[in-house]
This record gives sequence, C-alpha cells and structure tokens, in this order.
Amino acid sequence: MGKKREIQSDALVVRDLKKGDAKAMEEIVRRYSNKVYNLAYHLTRDSAAAEEIMQDVFLTVIAKIATLTNEAYFSTWLYRVTTNAAYGFLRKEKKFSEQTPVEDLDGEHHASVDWSELPDDVLLSEESREVLKRSIDSLPEAMRTVVIMKDMEGLKNEEIAEALGISVPAVKSRLHRGRLMLRDQLSDYFSKYTKPSGEDA
Amino acid sequence: MNCKICSALFQEFLEKSLCEELISEVDSHLKKCGQCRSSMHTYSLTIVLSSRADPPCCVPAEKMDELKKILMERFCTKKTA
Repeated sequence: MGKKREIQSDALVVRDLKKGDAKAMEEIVRRYSNKVYNLAYHLTRDSAAAEEIMQDVFLTVIAKIATLTNEAYFSTWLYRVTTNAAYGFLRKEKKFSEQTPVEDLDGEHHASVDWSELPDDVLLSEESREVLKRSIDSLPEAMRTVVIMKDMEGLKNEEIAEALGISVPAVKSRLHRGRLMLRDQLSDYFSKYTKPSGEDA
Repeated sequence: MNCKICSALFQEFLEKSLCEELISEVDSHLKKCGQCRSSMHTYSLTIVLSSRADPPCCVPAEKMDELKKILMERFCTKKTA
C-alpha cells in the first residue's frame, strides 16, 4: 500500500481522502507537513505559530476538502490556506503591513558594488545570513511573501499566483522588485569587504 | 538593448524563459556592459543566498505525533458524523 501511495499523484490521493480514506489523510500529512510548516515559519518567523498554523491547515483540509472541486489544485489550495492563516497570525500580532510596492525600482537598476567575487566564507557567513533574513523580513508584505514562496520554498510562479490569487506577471513583478531590494541591502552590507572602484587589486 | 531593458529581463534570462532572440541580445549587452554584468551576477547571487538564508527544517517529531493523533481523531469523528 505504501509503495502504491508513493507513486500516486496528489489528485488520486485527494480523491481517496474525499471518500473518507484515513490512509489518504496520513499520506497528505506525510507529503505536506514539512512544506506547510516551513512556509508558515518563514512567513511568521515564529516556530510555535508555525506549528499551530500547520495544525489548523490540516484541520481545514479535513473540514473543507469536499469543497475542492479540482483535485489537481490541491497543493495550491493548501498553500493558499497556509498563507491566509499566516497572514491572520501576523494581523493578530500587528506585524502585517499592507505596504504598496516601490515603483521606482522598475527599469535600470545597477548594483552599487560588485560583491559577487567575494569568497564563500564571507558570502555564506552567519552574519550575512542574518542580514539577509532581516532584509527579507523588512520587505513590503506583497514582495516578502512572493520572495519567500519562490526563493525559499521553491514554488513555481504559477503555484504562487494561484495560491495568492494574483496573475503570474504580478508574481514576477513582485519577485523582481523584492530581489532588487534585497540585492541593494546585501550590496550595502558587503561593501565593507569590497575595494572602491578604481583601486588596484 | 539598453541597460534599463537588460535589467528588467534578468529574471526571465536566469529562468531561461526568454526567446532565443532576446537571449542573444541580453548576452551581447552583457558582454559590453560591465555594470549590467556585475548587476546580473549580484542579482543571481541574491537568489542563491536567499535560498540558503534559512534552510527548511522538519516538524519536530513530538509535534508530528501530536498532529497525527489530533487529525486522525477529527477525521474519524467527521466520518461517523
């Protein structure tokens, strides 16, 4: 049974789940618990909240699975439920800000310094990771969510669009702007390790 | 191609979702524009570093056990309701 489950598509498992198959529920939890937990954690930066959200998300699956008309969209539906639950938590904690996207990041935008040749021990240091995490957390919410879903969770543009109820071009636009803002923050941080332009190596 | 257009195409260029004609235009612009080249490198590296900033982790085992218990109880209650 386990081996059969392994190769079954989500749609087939969800169909069994709708019929009341407890093994299908176990399989859904096995496939998605870590993904839901990580998305919730990255959006809230709160492990206790992420655990609570994960539990609520799977309880919602049990309660509402019958309303999902197209089983092939299960994962995006699950990510939408997770994102909404995380937003709910952030609103409750007053950490949610509906900031408007920054318009002046469209168009030509050069990095102030080229830090791409810095050694790995600088690029991957604990300090630089902390700088980046803080930078991601300080992005306008619309960009932050998309950057987390794409660059941290590895979701496809189409999945993000479906989960957030926005178009794929909107996903791309938010992602691009978010990445440019993060790149600028990293440029500021890494500038202390780079030589001013014109200085000999 | 100018710097403004080149910069706006970074994302699609890195995702390899541009048509061949645009790829070659971006390529040739990057060859002659050092600023765009370095911009592309740092943009690309930003994506890589973001993916490693906070690696995914597993749900704690005790929470997983608790979750399965709660879900199965709820699932069985719903089935018999």
